[in-house]
Amino acid sequence: MQSIINSILKNRNLIIYATLSLITFNSLYTNSSVHYNAIGKTGAHFSGKTSIFSSYINSYFNLRDKNQILIEENLELKKIQYKYNYDTQNLESKSLESKSLNTANIILNSINKSKNIIVIDKGISGGINEEMGVITSMGVVGIIKSVTKNYASIISLLNTDLKVNAILKNSSTIGSITWDGLNSKNVKLNDIPLSSSLKIGDTVVTGGMSFYFPKGIPIGSISNYDNNSLEGYYDIDVEVFNDFSSLSNVYILERTDNEEIKTLLND
Amino acid sequence: MTRESIRNIVFYTTILVSQLLIFNHFNLFNVITPSVYLIIFILYKISYNNTSLIFLGFITGLIIDLAMQTYGCHTFATITICYLRERIEKNSFGVNANLPSAMIKGTKMINRLSFFMLIIVIHSLIYYSLVFFNLELIGRIFYYSLINSIVTFIIVWVLSQLISNN
Repeated sequence: MQSIINSILKNRNLIIYATLSLITFNSLYTNSSVHYNAIGKTGAHFSGKTSIFSSYINSYFNLRDKNQILIEENLELKKIQYKYNYDTQNLESKSLESKSLNTANIILNSINKSKNIIVIDKGISGGINEEMGVITSMGVVGIIKSVTKNYASIISLLNTDLKVNAILKNSSTIGSITWDGLNSKNVKLNDIPLSSSLKIGDTVVTGGMSFYFPKGIPIGSISNYDNNSLEGYYDIDVEVFNDFSSLSNVYILERTDNEEIKTLLND
Repeated sequence: MTRESIRNIVFYTTILVSQLLIFNHFNLFNVITPSVYLIIFILYKISYNNTSLIFLGFITGLIIDLAMQTYGCHTFATITICYLRERIEKNSFGVNANLPSAMIKGTKMINRLSFFMLIIVIHSLIYYSLVFFNLELIGRIFYYSLINSIVTFIIVWVLSQLISNN
């Protein structure tokens, strides 16, 4: 206590000077419009800068929540998009109702094997079942292979075992997408006859003739093709829209009419 | 009350009244308004308390601000030079700073010149910085400070010589 008092006494001139300066500046601020505006402007600038800084920090810590909100919002938009697509294709409302969307986070992913598998954090308890289609906002990801109570594994599009029905968006020529296990950016579009016209940059989408994906979900665009095949089909490279190395959230498509169709086929 | 105190009060009052009635209305070429009251703080004896000097500076600045409607510009410039005066004095006079009349006699002319100039220039710079309070007008701030410092210095120097001779 004594040292504090001594320190105050030692610096009394500075303290008095600072106090009187404050009084003076207060007088300037309250009485002079020039100083009021200038100090107010500086104050606003300073407060703006500090607010931005604190806002950055808050945003960083709230990213997870924001991400979740955005996923939910995207989910709703996806549902609206599908409803619109089906409405424009004059399909029965039953088809629409039979499809629902779910979201999940990827917890395990690989792209460097020939049979890549993705694991998500939702399983049977989250409404996930086998053979559901998995997509992102960019396009097709894969198909649910197996499910446990809380997790599910997906056969990635980058899996040599997977074959997805696809069409050329412009010409509606039907083909199928497979992966040759070489490049994680490119897949192959097979079964497109040489009689079809195509060009580099054409979009490839799902064909709708499968249990997993409705028609029109993007897959990729043609990056290269070879029309010198003797078998009568193009050899087409498709650059996928999804970047499989940085996937984090996915949507799972449910087709509740699968069982009914399968029963019909078995009969 | 000692004779010295009465003399000091008379000196202070005379300078302050002169500033308020004469020099504040000088306004030569719309630029020059000499701050002759600075002589009070220049000739203030070091043997007196520095804290008292800061309060004296505050009161003087306040009176001039009220008269000139400058809202605190004079006050801040004055309390700043009062606060810095001890350092300026030591910087200008060195070991001779302890002499009772170092500011007017018994010291080298160059030391006294630098002491006067430092106080006047610092005061002018602070005062005009606050008056214009805009970085874009920095040229004008320096121009006004320079012109007013020169005129103030001449008047204060002449007055101090007169006091010294008497």
